[in-house]
Amino acid sequence: MIRRVMILVTRGLLLVALPACAAAQNPGASGAGGYAGSSACKTCHADIWLNFYKNPHFKSTVSGDLPPSRTGCESCHGPGEAHMAARGGKATIPNAFSVMSQAKVLEACLTCHARDFQKANIRRSEHTLADVACTSCHSIHHSPTPKFLLAKKQTELCYGCHAGIRAQFEMPSRHRVNEGFMECSDCHNPHGAFAPTWRMSDRPRMVDQALNNEEPCLKCHVEKRGPFVYEHPPVRVEGCEVCHFPHGSTNERLLRRPVVFTLCLGCHNGGASGTRNNGVPIATGPHNLLDPRYQRCTTCHVRIHGSNADETFLR
Amino acid sequence: MMAMLKRCCLVLAVCGALRAQLVIAPTPEAVGPARGGDFANYNIVDSLELGYRWRLAGGSMDTYRSDVNYGDGIRLLATNLSIDSKEGHGRWFDEILLSTSGLGNDPYQTASLRIQKNGLYRYDMLWREDDYYNPGLVISGGDHLMDTVRGLQDHSLTLFPQSHIQVDLGYSRNIQSGPALSTVQGFDTLSSAFPVFENVKQQWNEYRIGVLADWNGFRFIARRTWDFYKDDSGYSLSAPETSGVATDATVLQQFQRSEPNHGSNPGWFGNVYGKRKYWALNARLTYNLGNGGFAMNELTAGLNRFGAADNRQIVVSGDAQRPVVAGDFNISLFPTSRLTIVNHTAVHDTRMDGDSYFTEFDNGTGAATTLNFKFLGVLTVSNATDINYRFSNWFSAYAGFTDSGRQIRLLEAFAFPAVAGSEARYPYQQESRLNEGSVGVRFRPFQPLTINLEGEAGHADHPLTPMSDRNYHTLGGRIQYHSRKLQLSTGYRELYNENAPLSFITYGSRSRQYNAAASFALRDWLAFDASYSKLHLDTVGGLAFFAGVQSPQLQTSYDSIYISNIHAANAGLRFDIRRRADLYVGYTITKDTGDGRASAVPAGVTDPIATLLDSVQTFPLTYQSPMARLSIRITPKLRWNAGWQFYGYGELFHLLGYDQNFHAHTGYTSVLWSF
Repeated sequence: MIRRVMILVTRGLLLVALPACAAAQNPGASGAGGYAGSSACKTCHADIWLNFYKNPHFKSTVSGDLPPSRTGCESCHGPGEAHMAARGGKATIPNAFSVMSQAKVLEACLTCHARDFQKANIRRSEHTLADVACTSCHSIHHSPTPKFLLAKKQTELCYGCHAGIRAQFEMPSRHRVNEGFMECSDCHNPHGAFAPTWRMSDRPRMVDQALNNEEPCLKCHVEKRGPFVYEHPPVRVEGCEVCHFPHGSTNERLLRRPVVFTLCLGCHNGGASGTRNNGVPIATGPHNLLDPRYQRCTTCHVRIHGSNADETFLR
Repeated sequence: MMAMLKRCCLVLAVCGALRAQLVIAPTPEAVGPARGGDFANYNIVDSLELGYRWRLAGGSMDTYRSDVNYGDGIRLLATNLSIDSKEGHGRWFDEILLSTSGLGNDPYQTASLRIQKNGLYRYDMLWREDDYYNPGLVISGGDHLMDTVRGLQDHSLTLFPQSHIQVDLGYSRNIQSGPALSTVQGFDTLSSAFPVFENVKQQWNEYRIGVLADWNGFRFIARRTWDFYKDDSGYSLSAPETSGVATDATVLQQFQRSEPNHGSNPGWFGNVYGKRKYWALNARLTYNLGNGGFAMNELTAGLNRFGAADNRQIVVSGDAQRPVVAGDFNISLFPTSRLTIVNHTAVHDTRMDGDSYFTEFDNGTGAATTLNFKFLGVLTVSNATDINYRFSNWFSAYAGFTDSGRQIRLLEAFAFPAVAGSEARYPYQQESRLNEGSVGVRFRPFQPLTINLEGEAGHADHPLTPMSDRNYHTLGGRIQYHSRKLQLSTGYRELYNENAPLSFITYGSRSRQYNAAASFALRDWLAFDASYSKLHLDTVGGLAFFAGVQSPQLQTSYDSIYISNIHAANAGLRFDIRRRADLYVGYTITKDTGDGRASAVPAGVTDPIATLLDSVQTFPLTYQSPMARLSIRITPKLRWNAGWQFYGYGELFHLLGYDQNFHAHTGYTSVLWSF
């Protein structure tokens, strides 16, 4: 019994004394604006502090020249003196992220991250419009990924909401995301992107531009970038999606149709669209569609993405 | 607290490990409390997984290699290394992160490296290599087979990453090489196409230097880029070929083509960002000047389609230029804490420059043509405004409007320099305007539950292609319940596009997606994950083409119809057996039921044209993949792993007569050592 009382008393003294000692070791931080300094936090939150050196936010602690409002724990969670005085409790933490609204989480993170170029369009991103906040994807203190403090591996995070996209990446013809060769962020910026420079610039809003201002497909498929003497206008104007599914497809080469002539004739039907007064030209008379030779258009029109030597993409 | 943390980490790890096992691949490391060893002031965590892959495949190996491509052999399946300074004041570095996967002949190999020292530098490297194989069977009868390797690498060095002035240096490289098959038409455009060997040699290099500066609350970024592209692929014929068509006597006896194409794209990039209490602005401007110099020398000899000896040489040379300018101006207003208004204006201008020229000599016909470039110009200006208002902590809404105008100019009449008065002109100019409005609401009746509903409707008055958006709308909704152990979600999205150009041709496309997903970490040793999606697509479009049994006639009374109903599901179950062994079983299936028909051509259809079109209206198939994996802890630092995955691909109708079905058992056994 006496031993138990002694332990309780000792613990009580420690609770009072340790924060005070910690504050004394960090006199410049304590007091001003209610900031206690990160050293005070580690007394109770040792579990977080012990691994914090692996966290990118640790840089603010070691830089030594940042004001208390931008240093360590309090740079995100706000001044901690009241929290210490109350001996804990979420209600006394100015920014307790687990109970904050999505909008407040976003504003708290943007205090520092607003000027990152990758987040320049976060306020117009579809994620923000759908109320997906930073902490929906990022785990600041318990991230299992080595970079970007993601709550899970990137593809798993995205699949958590986008089950339909996951299904596309499990189709026979697909970009190798599940194999670990690519990631969603190779093409998408989950924080929002500038208006696309293809189609009518209206959507999608989360597709990143590559090579300064072009469609992200060209980041890897550079041979299709051109410039070509004879551009295939839909490729340049509408982008690759006019013929291809970008994620995955049951059709070869991510095409929108299993047989290529049905794809080509979809536009080359004489309808009043395209870049000619009389519409997109139809295949000429010798192209007898019942002849197997003319059912696989790209057998002859090999340079369908653009050619330097032939107006009809034959070479 | 520590126990709770460990439990929390374990739950996260269970969920993570479960979802990570989509493909037979490296064993995901268990995530838990910090481990590793300390050396000097650094903490070092490392793991290596070395193993052997095997496969037993049957059926079409071409399709197997195209869709799966795992082979036999020893692999360094995965490595993970992290070295962290515990005080943040390392002498040369504060952090090293290295991870690799598939090294040593896996078809998909990656490595990433980060080295940084706080306040001084940060270096990131990403290296990837992909073995690409595509038989091109249905698309082009196997003629466009590709068996290439694509290598990608990116290096980025940032100096003074926490300073007000930062310097960025970067280098990227992209190469593709390997054998392929291309095709060439013998002596005229009416002859058959012959397969020719292509030795692919493509290379792209980019160099970047940039400066970032913070001043008076604004951030400025300026970057200069230079990228260079080379395509030196060569083409040749290994042996004489005949057409195999009774009406075409062409024999290709000799063929050689060299076609060097070298280009560069010098570019500028600038960005400015600023934020105040009630507003923020963000502007970007980029400029890229695309240059391409090319030449082609093609020599063909043999018999033409009438059986007469013939030879043909085509020599082409020229330069291409395509300057591209893109600019964005983005302003955000926050008049109250509940209201955000964002306006985004974007301008994009692409044009093929008309100063260059193109010369073609055709020795076979004795013709020589010199002409100025075909011109293609695209100018798009768009403006979008979003208003986002939070009525309460559980209800908010947004509305948006986009106005976009696009002008396309096309020059198809060339200017012949040698002919006086043959001036370049714009024979065709098209302008299109798109207006689109969207609304959405969000409910969060209680913390783990969110409900999103959204809709969008748009109209474009002159879309470029029949498949482009004209009168379209989207409707979507999502309900999500997200707690620490249980995640449930379901969603729906439809996109309807009714595109009816001015003539008799119509086009309509309707796609609908339904999905549901569940992830449940029942205990720290048991987790379950499943999802189901249905993807429906049906399109109908008018056709105009030539076809006929005796002689081809113009056909305009047929429609192009395509119907796809894809059911996709996956499920996974993970057991952690007494912390000694980890067992995962999973299953994925993609099944396109098409339009439900039992044969490619419905009974009673005798018209040969209708028979052909009916046979390509739907493409039912099944692609399924069960898998299992076992990981046993031998010592705290050593695990033995084994995995098996089956791939089964089966088309119901063999399109154009090609049987592409395959089945394959793949697996691996490995040892994971970590410290």
